Formats: sequence, C-alpha cells, structure tokens
Amino acid sequence: MIECENLVKEFNEGKLRAVNGLTLNIRKGEIYALIGANGSGKTTTVNMMTGALVPTSGRVSVLGIEMPHGKHLVSGRIGVAPQEYSLYSDLTLEQNASFFAKLYGMDSKRFGRRFGELNDILRLRGREHSLVSNLSGGMKRRASIECALLHEPEVVFFDEATVGIDPVLRAFLWDYFRSLRSNGLTILLTSHVMDEAGKADRIGLLRAGKLVDEGEPNTLMARHNVRSIEDVFLKLSGKELTDA
Amino acid sequence: MAGRVLAQIRRDRRTLAMLFAMPAVVMLIFGFALGGQVSNVPIVVDNQDAGYGASPGTTLNVGSHILSSLQTDSAVSVTTGSFASGKQGVDSGAYFAVVLIPSNFSQVAFKQIQGQNVSAVIQLYIDGTKPSIAATVLGALQGAIQNSSRVKGFSLVQQYAYGGKFSGLDVSLPSVIAFVLTFLVLLISLLTVSRETTSGTLPRLYTTPLTAVERLVGYTLSLLVVGVMMVVVVLAVGIGLFGAVVRGDPLLLFGAAVLYALSQVLLAVFLSNFARNEFQAVQLAPLIALPSMALSGMLVPIFSLPAWIQPISKVIPMYYANQLFEGIMLKGYGVCSMAFDLLVVVTIAVLFLALAMTTVKDRMDA
Repeated sequence: MIECENLVKEFNEGKLRAVNGLTLNIRKGEIYALIGANGSGKTTTVNMMTGALVPTSGRVSVLGIEMPHGKHLVSGRIGVAPQEYSLYSDLTLEQNASFFAKLYGMDSKRFGRRFGELNDILRLRGREHSLVSNLSGGMKRRASIECALLHEPEVVFFDEATVGIDPVLRAFLWDYFRSLRSNGLTILLTSHVMDEAGKADRIGLLRAGKLVDEGEPNTLMARHNVRSIEDVFLKLSGKELTDA
Repeated sequence: MAGRVLAQIRRDRRTLAMLFAMPAVVMLIFGFALGGQVSNVPIVVDNQDAGYGASPGTTLNVGSHILSSLQTDSAVSVTTGSFASGKQGVDSGAYFAVVLIPSNFSQVAFKQIQGQNVSAVIQLYIDGTKPSIAATVLGALQGAIQNSSRVKGFSLVQQYAYGGKFSGLDVSLPSVIAFVLTFLVLLISLLTVSRETTSGTLPRLYTTPLTAVERLVGYTLSLLVVGVMMVVVVLAVGIGLFGAVVRGDPLLLFGAAVLYALSQVLLAVFLSNFARNEFQAVQLAPLIALPSMALSGMLVPIFSLPAWIQPISKVIPMYYANQLFEGIMLKGYGVCSMAFDLLVVVTIAVLFLALAMTTVKDRMDA
C-alpha cells in the first residue's frame, strides 16, 4: 500500500540529510506509527509519500503508484492531516471543510452527509459556523482530521495529528481509527508520544532519518526486553531525547 | 524588545537587503526623475513670416528670430511644420503645442517701431491636459518673442486641444487612479497570496488534487473580483465625489481600469512566488509602485526625463495606464485611439501570467 525503498531526502545542497535510506512497507488496512524524536525525519517522510516533496534518491509508492510522478492519480485517494492545523483561521469550520471537499470533487449532497457524520464522530457538532480562529487547539486538531477524512480516502496520513487532544477524546479517536481500519483504510501516523504509538498495529522507529527498528508493539518490547514502547525508543536512541 | 525585533530583521536576509536597497533605489530614481525642470516639450512651429524690407538690401524677419530663439531654449523641442499638421500632431498626442507666426509679423513689428498702432496675431494650439507644461511652453514662446523683437502689440490666440482647459484635479486624477490601482491591487494581492504560505495551508494544498495552475487561476479570479471592486470605488470617488472629467466612454474607462487591475493581480501572483512571508510581500508593493510613480509620467512628463531613463518608462505598466486613463478621461479617445495602449496592457497581463505559470510551485521543494 505504501512502500519506500532506500528513500533519501537532502536539504541545503546536501548539507542536511533528513531522510537517510529509509525502507519500509505498510500494508493495506494497517495502522502504522512512525515514531521518533523531533527532527528525526518523520514529517519529511510523510511529505515525500504525499508528493509534497521530491526524494533526492530512492523510491516511494502509494497505492502501488510511484510518487511524486503519480501524484495526480494518488492525491484524490489519500487524506492528509498535517502537523500544523493547516486550516483557514478566518473561515468557519464549515467553509474550511466545504473548500477541501470541493478540491476532492465532492458534491454538496455527499459533503453534507459526510460533514454531519464526522462532526458527530469528532464532537464538532454545534461548531460548524465558528471561525477556526475561535476554536480551541484540540478542536482545530479535530477539524484538521475532519478535513482529511471528508472524501473517504483509502490512505490517510496523520502527522502528529493527535497531539494536543485530551486523553478521553484521543482514546475515542483511536477506536474510530480502528473502525476505519476494519473498513480497509490504511493509516500512517507520526508521533513522538510513545504510549500513543503503542496502539498502532506496527511501529517504525526513526532516528536521524533511518529506520532503526520495526515491528508490532509487543514484539518490539519483547525483542528489547522492556515494558514500554518508550523504553524501546530510549534503548534504541541511546537515551538521546534531543533532536537527532 | 528592541533587540529582539532587530535580531528578527537581521535574520531575514531578504528583508535586510530590502531595508538598504529599497530606499537607495527609490531615492536614486526620484533624484534622476525629478532632478530637472520641465524640458524638451515637443512643439511644432509654423513660421509663415515673410519678413519685411525695412530698407533696400535689408530684410527684417522677426519670425525667424523667434524660431531660432525657441530652438535654443531647452524648455521646448522644436519641429518646424504646418499649423494644420501640427494640430493633428497635438490631437494625436505626438506634440504638445503648435505655434503659427503670421506672414505679416515682421511688417507689424516694423510699423510698431515707427509708432503705428497695429497688432499681429500669433496662434497657439496647445494641449490643455497638463497646465504646468502649458505654462512652460507659453513662457518659452513669450520669452522668444521678447528676445527677438520689440513687438508688444501682438495678441496670442490660444486654443486648447481636447475641448478646453482642465483644472488641476482633472489632470491629476487619471494618474492618481493609475497609482492607486498599481499600489493597492499589488499590495492586497501580494498579502492575500503570501498569507497562504504563512498560514501553513499551502503544504496541505500540495497534497490535494488541486494543480498549481488551478491554484494560480483561483488566486487570479478572486483577486480580480477585489480589483474590480477597487476600480469601482476609485472611479466612484473620483467621478462621483470630485467630479472628474470623463470626456470618453465611461464603459471603456471601466474596462481599461479592470484590464490594468488584472495585469497588476497577475504581477502580484508572479511576485508572491518569491516572497516567503507577508513581511517580504508587503515590501514588494512600494518597490514597484514608487518607481512607477516617478517614471510613468505621473510626476514629470516622460520627455523631460533624462534620455537614458526614457526607454525605462516605456516598459513600466503604469505608463500605459496613465496613457489610457488620460486619453479616455481628458482627451475623449475611443477604442481605436487607445488600441495600442490597450494592446500593451493585454500583452503585459499575458506576460505576467506566463511568468506566474512558469514559477508557480506545485510542491514544497520546487
């Protein structure tokens, strides 16, 4: 569903290598968590997968289509909730959602149905006509997720998208993600919150742009003989919690 | 606080460069453009003076002296020709004035010296759309007559082209409208487009099916609506409140203003590709608008600018906006007379569109 092979991304004329030979394979209907410290290359990897960045070398494909060349074939089938809210703060929630729905070619009837459904699920009912600038941080995050899911994508990328959401709602969201997965949706999420990543089907640990380990949460913990994903991360990163 | 602000400015190299470059560039342009007086005003002189034989072997020709005096005056640039063709030249905008010195001028001058009470008539057909230049031409002509003869009893018959004399407000408004559209349409357009970058929504748009060209068209259409609204406001205030003269077709004026606003929107969309934030974008508007003001003929007529600057004026879009608005509002020109300037503005718009399309980004690292 999502494949990377020796993926490399350099910036500043090669002075900074943000992603360094990343190889991974995410299966259809899987919730995959890419975790790592700030600056480990998570967002850069997602940007290459969504076609927003061009790899320096290596290859990446989404839905079996090479990116970024096949971006025009893929972009309508994926949803992205970026690390920043990436919403128009001077428009209402409904205006934002409607704008993104139109970009994905949704008609007003389908939009109305999906917008209503997602407002209930994401607990945004009653805030449709609020300016995004007047929403709380958690609501903005949910609004961003809503805009990524409106057009019923096959693959969705959540880049730190559950950060800032209260624990109750986060648990609720994870239940929702699992229900989406059972309907065949593939989810790639990035996070630096380790306990959250433990809820994913599989985890990839990223350090300095490289995948240092990968597997199911229990397998990883057993392999490294620790009791939490955070301990796995600390063990693999040499307890360096600073930016890579 | 002050240290923090200065540190931020120092960090933004483009802003830092603009901080020093912009005042220097603007001062240089204004210095060169406004440094001199009105000069080289193109006029036609039709000297029909046949001269007068005051005594055997000597012929007095005051008209030739006047012509010579005008030819050495830097305020005007003299071409000799017939009064009729000169009038056509003034009507078409090629010349600013045409002077007719009558055939009996020297004779009248001689008779006046002898104490006879006679008078001569000098005809002047002059563009009344620029009072300050008209005053310069009039001053040069009166100076030349006084230098060349003692003729005092002449009457100057002035006829104004384009239907008469205009008030200072009338002659200023066309270029003021051009400047307002240049500055405000650019500023608002630059701010609107660059806000997409600073709000963080642009990276999200890169992941959607929206193509770069569709995004560009979207910006252009929405900003054109804003531009049209500005045109309506500017014309409503200029004409409705200040009673600006519109001798030509108001619809043509509106169409020309909208066309010019479109060219400025496309320029802004193109330039916004190079601005990383709203601060940088805001600085681009005066960088374009102020030199346009100095070099487009708004403050100083093009023919009075230094010779090496004059070709630069012809590549400034606002020059053609001035020509259009002045032509339609003051001279009453129609589509045919304005075809060249309209075509140039269309070409400028197409050029900016092409530049915007070739530089628009469709991904973060483009």
